[in-house]
Amino acid sequence: MKRRTFLQASAAGITGALTAGAAVLTWTPRAHAATVARTYTITDGYITQPDGVNVYFKGYSDSATGLNVPASSFIVQEGDTVTVTINNTLGSDHSFVIDGVVDSGVISAGTSKTVSFLAATAGSYLFYDKLNAPYNRAVGLHGAMAVMPSGSSDTLYAGSPTFVKQLFWVYNECDPAVNEAVRINAMPPPLSSYVPRYFTINGLSARPPGAPGYDDPTINSYYDPRTALAGYVGERTLVRVLNAGLCTHSMHFHANHVELLKRNGSVLADIWLKDVVSLDNNKGSVDLIYPFDPPPDAWPPVSTGNFVMHLHNEQTQTAGGGSYQFGAQTSIKFK
Amino acid sequence: MGMGMGNACYVYPGAPATPGLVTPDISFDRSVYMNGSVTMDDGRTIEVWGFTQGGMMGNQFPSPPMRVREGQIVHTNFTNNGMMWLHTIHHHGIEPSTENDGVGHTSFDVDGSYTYQWKASHAGTYFYHCHTNTVLHAEMGMYGALIIDPPDGSKRAFTGAPLYDVEAIWACDEFDSSWHTLNWDAGTCGADVGLNDLQPDYFIISGVDGASSALTDSRVAVNMNTGQALLVRYINAGYTPQRIDFGGLSGEVIASDGRALPKAVSATSWKSTAAERYDIMFYPTTAGVYEVTVEYLHWVTGAVIGTARTRINVS
Repeated sequence: MKRRTFLQASAAGITGALTAGAAVLTWTPRAHAATVARTYTITDGYITQPDGVNVYFKGYSDSATGLNVPASSFIVQEGDTVTVTINNTLGSDHSFVIDGVVDSGVISAGTSKTVSFLAATAGSYLFYDKLNAPYNRAVGLHGAMAVMPSGSSDTLYAGSPTFVKQLFWVYNECDPAVNEAVRINAMPPPLSSYVPRYFTINGLSARPPGAPGYDDPTINSYYDPRTALAGYVGERTLVRVLNAGLCTHSMHFHANHVELLKRNGSVLADIWLKDVVSLDNNKGSVDLIYPFDPPPDAWPPVSTGNFVMHLHNEQTQTAGGGSYQFGAQTSIKFK
Repeated sequence: MGMGMGNACYVYPGAPATPGLVTPDISFDRSVYMNGSVTMDDGRTIEVWGFTQGGMMGNQFPSPPMRVREGQIVHTNFTNNGMMWLHTIHHHGIEPSTENDGVGHTSFDVDGSYTYQWKASHAGTYFYHCHTNTVLHAEMGMYGALIIDPPDGSKRAFTGAPLYDVEAIWACDEFDSSWHTLNWDAGTCGADVGLNDLQPDYFIISGVDGASSALTDSRVAVNMNTGQALLVRYINAGYTPQRIDFGGLSGEVIASDGRALPKAVSATSWKSTAAERYDIMFYPTTAGVYEVTVEYLHWVTGAVIGTARTRINVS
C-alpha cells in the first residue's frame, strides 16, 4: 500500500453539477447525444466508523489524495458515449465493470486505463471492481451511474411515472475482518462467517440527536443531502437504490408508501405501493418514487413533519454491535 | 428483565399532550410487560416483552391485536412506567403525523402516558411494535397485529376484495435466545452487545414454536371446509428473509403492506423480507392436510437457517 489516509467519511469531492456530491441531483436533458468523460483514481485509506473504529477501504476517488466510498455518482442520457479513465494508484490489480455494459479487464497495479461505452438503455447502474469478487466491491470499489431517457428530465424510463427530484442510495456494510484481509492481500473469511458491524447508505451511517456529528451532513446519513428525502408536498422523488454489499435488506419508509417501478433492472408490469421494499444483496437494485403525499393517516391532517427511512432487518440499525440508531437510516422531511 | 433508565443513551423521554385531540371512534389501551415467557417445544423458556391490554397484567405474545374499520379515528392510549424503561408504539404502515408515529428520535420515547391519534385510511394488514432500541425490543416480542377492515366491516381484506370465511394471521418471527437476556437499553451507550449479529435458534408463528406446536395450535393452524375461502394475513415479523410454501395449495396474493395489488398474483410459495405483509386468499377444493412451511433464510448466503410449520386442515 502506498499511502494511508485517515479520513472522516465525507460528502466532499464535488466535481460538477452532475455528481451526487451536489446534493439533489439536477439534470437538464440535451437535444443531442454527447460524449461524457469521467476520471476516477483508485485510492485507499481508513474511514472512521460511528464507534471510533478506523476501517480500511478502497475507492474510486475524485483525486489521488482523497477517498470516496462510494464513488461520486453521475448522470448521462441515452445515446451518450461515456469515457471513463481509471488511474490505479494502488499496488493491487483492479477493474471497472458495469454488468452488461462495460468491462475494463484488469487494470494492473500502478497503471491507468480508459474505457468507452454507449449508454444505450435508461436505468440505474452500479459500477464496481469485479476482481477478488465480491470483496473488492465490498471494501468500497463501487459507485452509481444513471442513464436518463433521451430528452427527459423527469422519467425513469419512457412513459414511467414522473418525478421532480432524484437521489441515489448506494448501500454497503462492512465486516472489518474482510476489509483487513483485503488490505493485506489475504484470503477473507468465508461468507458463512461474514458478520458485518457497520451499515451505510452512500457511505455514511446515521447519528441520533445529541450524538457527536449529528448536525454534520458529511458525517450523518440522516442529513447527508445526497441521501435525505426532503421535500414539499408533491415533490415526488425518485430513489435509485443499489446494493453494493453482501446482505439482503428490507427498507421501511415512514409517512408514505412508495411506488415501486423497477427491480434488478426490470420494469415491473404493475406498480405496487409498499411501505417495505426488499433489496437483494450482491448488486440488487430497485427504483422507487417517494411521492411526498400528505401522510394519509394523520389526524388532524398535516403536510409537514419529520420521519425516517430505515432498514427493518434491524441488525443494520447498529454500529459495532450496539449503538441503536447509528446504522443505515436517513430522514424523511416534509418541509 | 429491563433495568432503570440511568444507563440509557440517546433516548428522548416525553409524554406531551396529543396535538388536536378529538373524540375517537375506537380506542385501545396498552401498557407494557417485560416479564413474559414462552415455552419452546424443547422445554426451554424464553423471556419475551410485550404490550398488555389495558392495565391488566399478563404476557400475551404476540401482543393483543388491534382491529378497526377504515375511516375510523383511532386512539392508542399508551401508558408506560418510564421510571423503569422507555418504549413507544409505532403503528407500522400507518402514516400519521410525527408526534403519532412512535419513533423516539423524531419525537419522544413515552415516559408516562401518551395517546397516539391516527386515522385508519386504508384497509389491510399492519402490525404495531415498539420503536425504542428497536433492534432489541421488536426481537423481544413487542409487537401485535393491526388489522383495518373495510368501512362496512365485511369479511374482506379491502373494499372490493373477495369475501373470506376463515381468517388466519401468521406473524412469522425468529428468536436469537442469546439476545433475550439483555436489558432494555442494551448497547445504547456504545457497548458491543452483539446486536449486529442475529443468530436465531427458534422459529415461531404468531408466538407459537414452529418446530411442532404450530402444526396443531389453534392460534395458528387453520381448520376449514372445501367451498370456504381463507384469508391468510402473512406478516414477516422477524429480521430475516423468509419463504413460505403453502403445502400444495395455490393462493391469490391480493394485497401487500395495506394496499391492494393492481393485479392479484397466483402463488404456491412466496418470499418476504422483514416487516412486509401479504394478504393471500385460498379456495381449497380438495379435503386434506396441507402443511405450510416457513423457511428462514440467511441474509448473506440465502441458506435455510430454520423452518416453522403449520397446517391448513381442509375437511
